[in-house]
Amino acid sequence: MPLGPIEIEVIRNALTAAAAEMDVTVWRTSRSTIVRELLDYSTAVFDAEGNNLAQSARIPGHLNSMSHLLRELLDRWVDPASWGHEDVVITNDPYCGGQHLPDIVAFKPVEHEGRRIAFVGTLCHHIDVGGLAAGSYAAKAIEIFQEGLRIPPLKLIENGVRNEGVWAMIRQNVRKPELLLGDLSSQIASLEVGAAALRRLAARYGADSMIEAGRRILDMSEAAIRAAIRRMPDGTYEFTDFLDDDGIDLDQPIRLHVKLTVAGDAIAVDLSGCSPQVTGPTNATLASSNSAVMFAIMTACDEPFAANAGCYRPVTTIAPEGLVVNARFPAPVVHRVAVTHRLLNAMYGALHQVVPDRIPAAYYGNSYVCTFQTIPQDAPREVLVEIEIGGSGAHPAKDGVNAFASGMHNNSNIPIEMIESQMPLTVTHYALRDGSGGAGMRRGGLGLTREWRVDSDRALFTANMDRFVHAPYGLAGGGPAAVGRLTLTRADGQELPLAPKSDNVPLVKGDRVRLDTSGGGGFGDPAARDPDLVARDRALGYVRP
Amino acid sequence: MRAAEEDHPLPEPRPVRIAVDVGGTFTDLQVLDARSGAVRAWKTPTTPEDPSIGLMTGVREAASRFGFALSDVGLLLHGTTIATNAVLERRLARGALLTTAGFEDVLEITRHVRKELYVVDPDPFPCLIPRDRRLGVPERMRADGGVETPLDEGAVAGLIARLDALRAEAVAVCLLHSYVNPAHERRLAEMIAAARPGLPVTLSSDISPEIREYERSSTTVLNALLVPVVKAYLDRLETRLGEGGFHPLVFLVQSNGGVCSLATAAAQPARLLLSGPSGGALAAGRIAELLGRPNLVAVDMGGTSFDVSVVQGGRIGVVTQGEIDGLPVRLPMVEMRTIGAGGGSIAGVDAGGRLTVGPRSAGARPGPVAYGRGGAEPTVTDANLALGRLDPDYFLGGLMKLDMAATRAAIAAKVGTPLGLAVEPAAQGMLTVTNANLGAAVRLSLFEKGLDPRDFALLSFGGAGGLHATDVATEMGIREVIFPREPGTLSAYGILHSDLVQDLARSRVLSARPESLPAIAALVAELREEAAARLSRDGVAPEAQLLEVGADMRYRGQAFELLVPWLEALDLVALTARFHAMHRQRFSYADERDAVEIVTLRVTAIGRLPKPASGEPAPSGRPALKGSRRVFEDGAWRDVPVWDRDALPPEDRITGPAIVEEAFATHWIGRSWTASLGPAGALIATRSDA
Repeated sequence: MPLGPIEIEVIRNALTAAAAEMDVTVWRTSRSTIVRELLDYSTAVFDAEGNNLAQSARIPGHLNSMSHLLRELLDRWVDPASWGHEDVVITNDPYCGGQHLPDIVAFKPVEHEGRRIAFVGTLCHHIDVGGLAAGSYAAKAIEIFQEGLRIPPLKLIENGVRNEGVWAMIRQNVRKPELLLGDLSSQIASLEVGAAALRRLAARYGADSMIEAGRRILDMSEAAIRAAIRRMPDGTYEFTDFLDDDGIDLDQPIRLHVKLTVAGDAIAVDLSGCSPQVTGPTNATLASSNSAVMFAIMTACDEPFAANAGCYRPVTTIAPEGLVVNARFPAPVVHRVAVTHRLLNAMYGALHQVVPDRIPAAYYGNSYVCTFQTIPQDAPREVLVEIEIGGSGAHPAKDGVNAFASGMHNNSNIPIEMIESQMPLTVTHYALRDGSGGAGMRRGGLGLTREWRVDSDRALFTANMDRFVHAPYGLAGGGPAAVGRLTLTRADGQELPLAPKSDNVPLVKGDRVRLDTSGGGGFGDPAARDPDLVARDRALGYVRP
Repeated sequence: MRAAEEDHPLPEPRPVRIAVDVGGTFTDLQVLDARSGAVRAWKTPTTPEDPSIGLMTGVREAASRFGFALSDVGLLLHGTTIATNAVLERRLARGALLTTAGFEDVLEITRHVRKELYVVDPDPFPCLIPRDRRLGVPERMRADGGVETPLDEGAVAGLIARLDALRAEAVAVCLLHSYVNPAHERRLAEMIAAARPGLPVTLSSDISPEIREYERSSTTVLNALLVPVVKAYLDRLETRLGEGGFHPLVFLVQSNGGVCSLATAAAQPARLLLSGPSGGALAAGRIAELLGRPNLVAVDMGGTSFDVSVVQGGRIGVVTQGEIDGLPVRLPMVEMRTIGAGGGSIAGVDAGGRLTVGPRSAGARPGPVAYGRGGAEPTVTDANLALGRLDPDYFLGGLMKLDMAATRAAIAAKVGTPLGLAVEPAAQGMLTVTNANLGAAVRLSLFEKGLDPRDFALLSFGGAGGLHATDVATEMGIREVIFPREPGTLSAYGILHSDLVQDLARSRVLSARPESLPAIAALVAELREEAAARLSRDGVAPEAQLLEVGADMRYRGQAFELLVPWLEALDLVALTARFHAMHRQRFSYADERDAVEIVTLRVTAIGRLPKPASGEPAPSGRPALKGSRRVFEDGAWRDVPVWDRDALPPEDRITGPAIVEEAFATHWIGRSWTASLGPAGALIATRSDA
């Protein structure tokens, strides 16, 4: 069948629909609150070389790194010739192209007419993969070996048969095996669904056309991004933002420096000015860092595009190994999300100089990850992983949005009634945090306050958070947002601050932990804000008088 | 007008039943006269300022045209978008929300996940009650129904004073865990009612007693803010009735595919919110029955949207949650997938050379280029015109002239030239992309249930549906397309055949094991008793009552439940087996060893309204083959026959490519399809092997 622009668009929509079908399957069948309520997972379709062709509308940090991982697997870790179409390969290894250990990625090839035409892939953030703290988000790890079970690229399913040894190995090494393995089954089901959708498409168009369509779909997205970059003024733009610290060497800020050069229809991003890799887990592999660079540029483009690996082609990232943005084995990396959030903040700071009408002030720039492991005397231990958010940054034309999942992640919240029905924890307060948005002609969105109380005899609390020292910046005269705060109130009423990077803090019945998150930075001179809006902010309590 | 009461059991022995569907532009009526069995359709303009005016006009016009007296009308079944439009246009009461203290912002925080990943200037999620009108109540329930902090009754007077100061016209109450223990909500309602007797109060434990605080709050708030709006409408309707002996029993169409009494509608107007699709789905169910086609996928395509619903084994699919304008509504409703694709969807080419159709729409204003109302961007309707599938001189039965020259020029400029294509292949490409998108929506609707499109017939209606149906069916591997009579008033036809339906639910997480059976049995008995009482209150005689029990079930740990019908009286083994089977069909796996939970028990109370048989329409004496028209099809301009739907006798067979016209719709019968009249005046197209 000859492929005109019509057929290309039909195939592209069908590939996106396949990713959406996969997404629905995970959503409906998964077991853990982190997958099914927080929605920390992604699904995507790739060409036979591992380039991302279509994405579900889930987590940008996942979606724009999965291509990197799959290409790395095909280049170095899995013999493509022996990867059969009934084999599912999984890995969570950051040093094989992945991001951090809780993210288990599963890929399956799709064949038609005896040829490989595509891959389908699903990434889930699992509730726990072992390691020194429940939730596998330890703040104090100094080697990846402390962060949990590291699964090299291997065949979880071979010739359609489950590799029971691997399932058993995982089961013995994680804290909530029934949730992890249930979520893994969801991932596999979603791969089956995606593969079936692609085979249906291939039966209609043939293998050659599918491959040709994939090539042109990537070309079109590349052309769209290049068209937008061409409209940007050539030049070199720099910006620096900071992470507070790595949880080990406190008061040692981590520098994220971006030097961005626009030349014609291409952009080079030099990250050589970033800090060397750190002792604690606030490190990222290149797959993670690249996803932040790509996301920043894709959103800065004012041309409609279909999100896929073609968008990455006009962009070159320079990131020498050994930096915090390209950590070397065996550095711990579980808090890589903080690096990508801050890198995105830094990228936006530079891009604000390029397309000032388009770029918002800094969002909260952080996944507020915290974990409660309840330890009752006579019942099973339960694990809750919470990922909280803050406010979005003010945009040149709009206020920031209160409590809005922004930037590199895209999490929902876990209903309080669900948490309390499942484990001995009570949420005692959940509210917008007054005054946490940056001032400006456009005000930054507000962050949140959430407070949990332990109802079991004992519990362990782990937190891995940032933006407690370095506030989300404002732009064009707008003010910064509030920094975060974590407070422990003991059952007897004694209040003490908790470090935002803390492992296994022992808690007892009646203890309360309160988290206050950052809002977004403001945009423009606060004095220029419409007085009616100022009055309204006061009336609603969004700002403090 | 009077509400049905126990001393007036249904049905009233009067011969005429009227279904009225009030739409944005037209008020559609279907009238069934039991004396002749005839079903007649009528249309009259909608009167948006007070839709009851148009309703009464339509009834009077129909009475004089079809020859019945207003006093002959025993039943008026009324579909209305009054609640829907009130939300979309934010013409709502000024309300306040009472929540557990410390959780006043849950309504504004929402579930906070974004739907568009690559947007730099997001809009806030909609929030119907601003922060200064959300008040905390000192109280707290636990997940097991125990009281952690008793309701501080001493604080209620202060809350009521604040409601006064805020000039609240309606109050929503949503306290944590009230779905397990509603005691605090009920006590608050009593105290407010005693102090402010006229102030309408909606309790979350009444309208949506289900777990997840944000979704329940959203539903409760929508209901509370609608109560004054819908009540005002019902009062206006009441003043219009009673004239000329017009005293029907009145029922309103709900989102769940059934009707409810006026009393229910006045207290729980959120149940009307997504009732728009109910009529179409009901019609699909009725047609499935009449035509002996238990598996139908119904597609309704208008100017801006394409709605897909599924009839499987003769039953309309119902889900437990929907959404309006981004606001969740946790109430049962007809399962419907809507995509932004219609006759008004705009086509364009982006910088990467990609042809896109929709989701932007030209709507009714300016509308397609062809309408000549200032539209400059080519739409799907324009593509149909450019290819000859629409007649520029017979659009809406000739009421509107279409501008062919402007249409062709716009397609050339915006699609053809950028892609290097002539006008015809460019227009054809617009339709191909559109039909593929429509097909994907149909496939996803079936896929979600683990169903195979080849086991389904496609039911096409709505103003624009007929032009795309056979192409979409071909795309999907569907071999039969049904074009019902009067595709423009099909919703009213469905409403004409509706039943009273009341949904009751209780959330309680219980393991599906024998030790839970006493608790389950008690809940089901409670629900059944309440359901029977409600039907009796609405005047349904015991022999017309039907109670269906179902359970929302999941594997322990899952968030999403499958609604499993419970056909066997409290047989847990059979229920669990059905759950495993449904899970395997929908999600391709099941694990009999896994723990299964019941999250919510449901009882659907059905009050059967009698279904008088309708007669077959009489053919007119006109010739059915009107002539032919030049149509661009399969790469060339050809003469294609044009048929007159209303004159078609049962023996004629239409061979595609062909066009079938009627007053308010045009149907395209594609190549390899043949069509002829079937039962109930439906035109049935089947695909032969090409």
